[in-house]
Amino acid sequence: MNTHTAALMNTHTIDTNAPVISADAYDTTAFYTDAGAVPTVTNTTAPDAVALPSPGASTAQLLAAAQEAGRRSVPAPLAETALVARPLLRRAGLPVPDGPLSYTIAPELTIRYAHPAPSPVGSAGCLGDDNTLLVTGTLRRVPWARAATAVVVLATAPFGPVLFTLTPDQASLTPGANLAEEPRDDLHLATLEIPASHVRRISPELLDEARLRAALARSALIAGAAERCVDLTVAHTTARTQFGRPLSRFQAVKQEEARLIEETALVRTAVQAAAPLDPGGPAAHVVIAAAKTQASASAAEIARIAHQLHGAIGITQLNPLHLATTRLWSWRDEDGDETYWARRLARPLTATTLWPTLTTTP
Amino acid sequence: MSPSTLSPTPTLSPIAFPDVALPESARRLRAEVRAFADEERARGTVLGRPDSWLAGWDPGFSRRCAERGWVGMALPTEYGGAGRGFLDRYVVIEELLAAGAPVSAHWVSDRQAGPSILQHGTEEQRRFFLPRIAAGQCFFSIGMSEKNSGSDLASVATRAERTADGWRLTGTKMWTGGAHVNDYAIVLARTDDAEDKHAGLSQFIVDLRAPGVRIEPIRLMSGEHRFNAVHLEGVDVPDGMLLGERGSGWKQVTGELAFERSGPERYLSTFPLLVSLLRELEQRSATAEQLVQVGILTARLHSVRQLSLGVAAALDAGHSPDTQAALVKDLGTRLEGALVDTVRSILPTPADSHATPGSHPELLAFALLHSPGYTLRGGTNEILRGIITRGLEQH
Repeated sequence: MNTHTAALMNTHTIDTNAPVISADAYDTTAFYTDAGAVPTVTNTTAPDAVALPSPGASTAQLLAAAQEAGRRSVPAPLAETALVARPLLRRAGLPVPDGPLSYTIAPELTIRYAHPAPSPVGSAGCLGDDNTLLVTGTLRRVPWARAATAVVVLATAPFGPVLFTLTPDQASLTPGANLAEEPRDDLHLATLEIPASHVRRISPELLDEARLRAALARSALIAGAAERCVDLTVAHTTARTQFGRPLSRFQAVKQEEARLIEETALVRTAVQAAAPLDPGGPAAHVVIAAAKTQASASAAEIARIAHQLHGAIGITQLNPLHLATTRLWSWRDEDGDETYWARRLARPLTATTLWPTLTTTP
Repeated sequence: MSPSTLSPTPTLSPIAFPDVALPESARRLRAEVRAFADEERARGTVLGRPDSWLAGWDPGFSRRCAERGWVGMALPTEYGGAGRGFLDRYVVIEELLAAGAPVSAHWVSDRQAGPSILQHGTEEQRRFFLPRIAAGQCFFSIGMSEKNSGSDLASVATRAERTADGWRLTGTKMWTGGAHVNDYAIVLARTDDAEDKHAGLSQFIVDLRAPGVRIEPIRLMSGEHRFNAVHLEGVDVPDGMLLGERGSGWKQVTGELAFERSGPERYLSTFPLLVSLLRELEQRSATAEQLVQVGILTARLHSVRQLSLGVAAALDAGHSPDTQAALVKDLGTRLEGALVDTVRSILPTPADSHATPGSHPELLAFALLHSPGYTLRGGTNEILRGIITRGLEQH
């Protein structure tokens, strides 16, 4: 287990002032304050600090914070907590725990009522005396599970969609990681009893909203990491000289750099388009599906150009570029890749609805 | 590398795009334009063809748009315009282009000549031209490019010599769209020799039917006659037709580029082909792989449109987002071309210029034969990318 995640688990505080040299050390510190459980992100190398907006913040504010977290490779589930877990808990009417939170959607679980109703209405087991559940199965690749105060689980039970929370210590945890070494842990649940107070039956719409929220949060992180690629690449091509002049003076470099900037602008604007929308609202589906499709589809090109223009230094841990590119490669697949979201975006389209759909917003 | 050697993080502001919220008036307008396009489709004038801002020449259609106040609509009411904002105009043109409506007759007057005369013209020029433009009765061409001046406009060789009461223009303009059917051209010519190639250029409003104007067709690969070589063989232009200041031609021309580069025409030229593809797919139920490709294309269209709207919002707010406009044009025009290739691979169809007009194979042939032009007109993409990185460096 990495030092920073251990610190997160124990105190919800990370304070690494280490230089940007490897995946285990970041130029960023994330603080989880106890007061109001509002995570604040500060960057030790920049004078500005980003405070995550309070739980009542607008989608736009939350997206901006998530984007900044993506840009700074924040070693904490900031976007997961603020844009996905907390809003879902509030929507389901469950209390919002302090500290970092995580989520996982529609895993294959065996779910039944712990206290089945004696005289069921409809098919057997579709009613319980209360909402207490018995859950068996594995939650796969849960983001930051080992560091989370609670994990929000959305699943489909025989009696319909359900949302419940658990704490990582209730499960047996197999540590895992994505390409960026961000924790992606498996949680094994063996007939785990989830008390009724932690369970809500939810509508299929809320289950779908969870997918949209997760995709939006991930898109914002990708947009941030893409910006980081631009920042680092421009800094590199300006500073590095070859054949007596900066790389940025070479026409061939300019051509590629412009494409990098363009692809990043595309992702940013796709995320920005979702900012005025309520992720649960009717207009959100198209815009969020488009944002995640674009973000995931652009990741390869952004990482490719950034690495090409960094030359050999970019393929090492000596340069912070890997923090951004390994995240891009991971995040594009998480919460639905471009294939999944492109299909969802295209499925309802017809020759007559295509243009009206594209002009739904603004 | 230690942290102390890292350069300060540069910001993205030269390529930052403002948020866009279209005014309620624009939403109402969208519904009106859509209904109008449906009516016109029913009467057979809106054919859903690609590249309709270049190839869809129909003065009658332009006049009907003008009657609704949709030509020169951003011009002030005192000059016959509708006094609507830039975003309202954006909605009108994106609706017409998405429908594949024939807007090319009034296109240049609406997009460039009108705003340019409003900004640089004399009061007399405004009073004469602007009401005619807004009424759809006066159509313009642009005479900038020459045989040896494409993206390098400063190298124009057309000369304007001083005469007793005006100017005499000599030279040949190339790629002058619609000069054989339009009324006037705004011509960039050298009035003074100067060390600095950008100095000494001036703009003139030239009557395309004046003596000495000889128009020679330049046919496209498809055989269409859209462009011309306009030979100016000693054309007399009165003093009153100098547009703006003598010697300020370069500044005037480049000042308009953000308007020219970032509009919906820079990503929608081939959009009607995607509509046609969906119509084909509806008849045979799309496969999962076809859906994925349609979805990826749709996401990109959505994203480029958001960027294009961002430039419109910046223009509306009085900024000059030149770098952003170059970015939108590079992305958008590449998307126009990529759309043709993707549509072709989603549903393999032999392109056929002689197939039934409006059928998928015919539209595909049309879009394909036009496709090399998308990334050339209005400044080549390689030059645009230089503008983007320069914008970043200057920041």
